[in-house]
Amino acid sequence: MNDFTIIRRSMTGRMFSTVTTVVTVAVAVGLLLTLLSMKNAGRQAFERGSGNMHLLISGDASPMVAVLNGVFYANAPAKPIAWEKYEGIMADPRVEWAIPTQQGDSYEGYPVLATVPEIFEKFQPEAGRGWEWAAGRGFTGNFEVVLGSEAAAGTGLKLRDTLNLTHGTSNDRAAHVHEEFVYTVVGVLRPTGGPHDRAVFTNLESTWMVHANERMEREAGHDHSHGDEHAHDHSHGDEHAHDHGHDHDHDHAHEHENPVIELTDGDRLITGIYVKMATRPGAKVSAAMPQFAAELRARSGFTVAAPSDEMGKLFTIVSRVDVIFRALAVVVLVSSGIAIMLALYNSMSERRRQIAVLRVLGSSRGRIFGLVMTESALLGVLGAAVGLGLSVVGGVLASGVLRQNVGLVVSPVYGIQWVLPVLMGAVGLAALAGLVPAVMAYRTSVAKNLKPIG
Amino acid sequence: MQSTQALRIEGLKFAYSGEEWVVDVRELALARGEQMLLSGGSGSGKSTLLHLIAGLEEPDAGTVEVAGRKMHALHGAQRDLYRGRHVGMIFQTFNLLHGFSALENVEAALMFSEVPAREHRERARALLAGLGIERMGARPDQLSVGQQQRVAVARAVACDPVVVLADEPTASLDPENAAMAMELIQGLCREKGAALLCVSHDPGMRARFERRASLGELGGRA
Repeated sequence: MNDFTIIRRSMTGRMFSTVTTVVTVAVAVGLLLTLLSMKNAGRQAFERGSGNMHLLISGDASPMVAVLNGVFYANAPAKPIAWEKYEGIMADPRVEWAIPTQQGDSYEGYPVLATVPEIFEKFQPEAGRGWEWAAGRGFTGNFEVVLGSEAAAGTGLKLRDTLNLTHGTSNDRAAHVHEEFVYTVVGVLRPTGGPHDRAVFTNLESTWMVHANERMEREAGHDHSHGDEHAHDHSHGDEHAHDHGHDHDHDHAHEHENPVIELTDGDRLITGIYVKMATRPGAKVSAAMPQFAAELRARSGFTVAAPSDEMGKLFTIVSRVDVIFRALAVVVLVSSGIAIMLALYNSMSERRRQIAVLRVLGSSRGRIFGLVMTESALLGVLGAAVGLGLSVVGGVLASGVLRQNVGLVVSPVYGIQWVLPVLMGAVGLAALAGLVPAVMAYRTSVAKNLKPIG
Repeated sequence: MQSTQALRIEGLKFAYSGEEWVVDVRELALARGEQMLLSGGSGSGKSTLLHLIAGLEEPDAGTVEVAGRKMHALHGAQRDLYRGRHVGMIFQTFNLLHGFSALENVEAALMFSEVPAREHRERARALLAGLGIERMGARPDQLSVGQQQRVAVARAVACDPVVVLADEPTASLDPENAAMAMELIQGLCREKGAALLCVSHDPGMRARFERRASLGELGGRA
């Protein structure tokens, strides 16, 4: 029997009140920790997608939309860009490299990025860190695909598996499968922690051929089947009807001969250009970039976005919402403090006799004060501990949702430099909430409360 | 050498603000092992006198010495600890700690004693066993009234007090249980060498005490 036994009995004697108080503190702490952990991780995740590109050139209406579409695969960019425009940009001496991209196709819901093989050499999805290969290599010829880590995991495709791409997305009513063209998986990338993990990469030439073939069919008056049912039937013949669009028979790719299509200049369209400006050695930013971007906007009418700026703006918007959430979490935390105070305050009427008896037995006022303060702080400690657990679970769930729906890999980051203050703050607040009941306990009249009841 | 005097009161006066003296005791002394019954009607100040002796109330005048030390010269935690170690109290409604077992109720008294913590449990067990309490893990509400009274007595003598103050200790008991309880209290006090000051308005108690007085005889209100 010691002070802790007295505190424990007091808490278990009012189990419902104790549990609800602990849950209130836990929810507040959990919410606060989750928001803070996701905020730091979120910023990293947003910055990860655009990597070392300085500019994104697109036909989309605004720079923000251009970045969301061109980097985060939110939608297929709306307007195409002619190939010669890309060549003009590429030839500009202020440009170190320019990588053309085309979006619009998909595979089982994963976006297809048609581009050039140089993307794996020059573009770094996270600045300073290039692509890493889990298996295989980059595409070198036509109708080869490289899978982002999540696309590989989600589709179950492996090296040398074959597949048909879908024009549009599977939930697009106009979507249809490019059945005539069979692609082969030649490489699988390691996770980058960014949106490109969801992408299926292929070369531009193949995509142009597929779309040129459709153009020719339209011109010849062939009716191309559209609709959802077609979008899900990616297979070649009955034997593959239930094969979710990919064929694990490795010989199949060799048996199938993709048609060779003559391309016209009108077929060579792209939807975006990743640009890295030439910089002086050691410099991260090009001084010529603003002028280059302004000229390009004026000359061609393209949207020229600096992804880091757009991400900064987006993050500012997100941060504003985040501030509201954090304010709410603090309000909940303060409310939980009030809940602790009320719970202890209400218990005082039934505890006065117990306090009086303890005083008779030899306990000092100070010790009684300490017992109530400790109990209050202990409620805070329990709430903080459960809250930390809730935050870890909440972070995992939230990161799963973001990964699934937005393609952002946001792994909650817990820094001791802010986790500890939050936990200490919760305990401190809980202890503070115990102050009023503790003073009441301190001032409890022994003589009055020893009198027989009734 | 240990003082044989357990309790000494001189010129003790107490009044609630603006009222006449509730307690007015010219002199009262109890030696170790001595037992005394203090009678008086309801509201005569009997309980207040006990609270004054225990240092739970501040007197307006006079002194209370317990085992040779002036109780009201001690302050704060020092007085609380002194009370816990030298004064045992038994109440009409027992005032057991609810939610705590019989054993823990006795251990609670030992928490403030000089007895080493490792001996608390064994000592509490021995005391309860000696009083015939077998269900030591039972909470007060799981015990009969008689058993609760015995636990309260065990708690009062757990620290080997110099003086035991019993405030209407049998008022909640039927005559048979009351007689048994008094037998127990008086026997234990004799055994432990503690002085017993019992206040009661029960006339049936008179025969149990050789030394008896009413508050009026001591100088207070009758």
